Amino acid sequence: MLANEKIAIAAHLHVLLRRKTGRVTDTEWMVSNREYALEIVRFAREKATQDGHADLGIMANRLADIMALTAPAQAAPAPRAAQAKAAPEPGFNLFTASRSFGDSESAQAPRYVAGLR
Amino acid sequence: MYHCKQSIALAFSLWLTVMAPVHAQTSPAAPAALTQASQPVPDTAPPPSVPLAATPVSSASSGTPAVVLAPQVVVPTPPAVVPTPPVVVLTQPGLVRADSLNGADTAWMLMATALVLLMTLPGIALFYGGMVRRKSVLNVMASVLATCAIVSLLWFAVGYSIAFTPGSSALGPYVGGTGRLWFAGLDYIKDAQQVAVSHIAPNIPESVYAMFQLTFAIITAALVVGAFVERMRFSATLIFMSLWTLLVYAPIAHWVWEPSGWLARLGTLDFAGGSVVHINAGMAGLVCAYALGPRRGYGREAFSPFNLGLTMAGTGLLWVGWFGFNAGSAVAADGRAGLAMTVTHIAAAAGALSWMVAEWVTRGRPSLLGLCSGVVAGLVAITPAAGYVQPSAAVVFGMVAGVACYWGATGLKRLLRADDSLDVFGVHGVGGIVGSLLTGVFASKSLAGVDGSVLTQLIGAGAVMLYSLLMTALVLWITSLCVSLRVSEADEIEGLDITQHAERLGT
Repeated sequence: MLANEKIAIAAHLHVLLRRKTGRVTDTEWMVSNREYALEIVRFAREKATQDGHADLGIMANRLADIMALTAPAQAAPAPRAAQAKAAPEPGFNLFTASRSFGDSESAQAPRYVAGLR
Repeated sequence: MYHCKQSIALAFSLWLTVMAPVHAQTSPAAPAALTQASQPVPDTAPPPSVPLAATPVSSASSGTPAVVLAPQVVVPTPPAVVPTPPVVVLTQPGLVRADSLNGADTAWMLMATALVLLMTLPGIALFYGGMVRRKSVLNVMASVLATCAIVSLLWFAVGYSIAFTPGSSALGPYVGGTGRLWFAGLDYIKDAQQVAVSHIAPNIPESVYAMFQLTFAIITAALVVGAFVERMRFSATLIFMSLWTLLVYAPIAHWVWEPSGWLARLGTLDFAGGSVVHINAGMAGLVCAYALGPRRGYGREAFSPFNLGLTMAGTGLLWVGWFGFNAGSAVAADGRAGLAMTVTHIAAAAGALSWMVAEWVTRGRPSLLGLCSGVVAGLVAITPAAGYVQPSAAVVFGMVAGVACYWGATGLKRLLRADDSLDVFGVHGVGGIVGSLLTGVFASKSLAGVDGSVLTQLIGAGAVMLYSLLMTALVLWITSLCVSLRVSEADEIEGLDITQHAERLGT
């Protein structure tokens, strides 16, 4: 699925959530972070059920489908090692230096959740 | 060509004539004539030391008429004929002759005052405004601006007097007097050529000193805003800031900076406000974060900052303004001020790099926000030591503070489980504690006049933390009796810009 299609659906959901519930979301983060997208879909479905916003539920389902949120195994990104093998090693630079310092889970942790820094 | 040389010679002689009195004033000596309390002066001066005078003598051995300079012992003159200027020491604010002030010091303090105000407006407003979500940026800026205004009036009315004048005998060590309420007595009497000075800074007008200290009160209160952004009612902010400035900031400033304050007497070293400003603000921020509770969605949603470019601009203003903050705290345009400026810059740079490396190693990315935070961490840490340590020590201050504050804003923050939204405690509280303790380690007797003591610094920092904790909680409780501290859930979701101010950022 094309990335811009994901963003279009996420942006639609963002607008609906903003109008129907007042909740402000981060569109780009929604398509790049699976946990965040899951939480937004859950919230949208809950509000759709509670407050009777059918369109909100529909859009939440579309995002869940396009992000393959119900099938995590399929949506999981390729392991880092595999990615590294697919792409040629760029040689020594700051990026590889940072990885040697342990660029691991913390770099992939959700940004700006429970703290700015 | 001759006329050119003649003109240069004339200009040089004129320059000497003009500058001579200026150079003569550069020593921040006690004013010559003071109308306030003075120490008793002995009628006779002590015997003068034996000075060496240069007098022309002819060289008899060579027979040549060459004239050389040789030292000659001068016979001490009788004590009775030596005029002695009165040695006068102010123990409280008072009037002095206007010509006893130091023009260079006064000019620098005017400049420093403007620099420190620049740190808040727009420094802190931009620094904080860039870090909150788009829907509450204007509220943060309004809070900082309103805090500046309300603290200014309260400082004029009450704050300066209770912070920077000696108190009555029983309460003297804890709170100042009422002699300067409404800035009473901050006079400049043109006809009599008299001007009021503070006993703490007798070389500049008291009006300048009061304004300089006002900017410190402003920025300390403004720093606390970062802990409760995006959820505190604007009216509650105003009430809280008013009470907090008078009940928390002013007494602590008296303890540490007024010579009769109990921490000053104890020997606590705080050159520019490591404990008075930063530990105090950090602790108050933490209490606010606990009292108000976290923002809706905290820990589950990403609270994306509005514009870290604004935060970068704010950091730049803070860095520049900090020269006024630290070097201005020398209250003179002298060597100590120059040293303070130097160590301030070095510590800021070291702090930025230290935080950057810590973040790079643990997260894999050096962020702009991390660099900005590291700059502030280094600046905070060097604040209590700026006039007391050598430049080499400033590197240590910055390096330690960068790592410590990074931990304070990440690991410690998770341990404390408080939504200290913009890490006021993590950066200012932790940085202030680190700086205060390191001051005890690195303070040089040749600069500070005393050797630093880690124990004394620990007592000072601990006392400020405890008082700030208890009194901030009390002030919040009093505020909550007047208005609700938090906005409603719906208002918080909508954003404080529109719900508190009926304004919204443009596209």
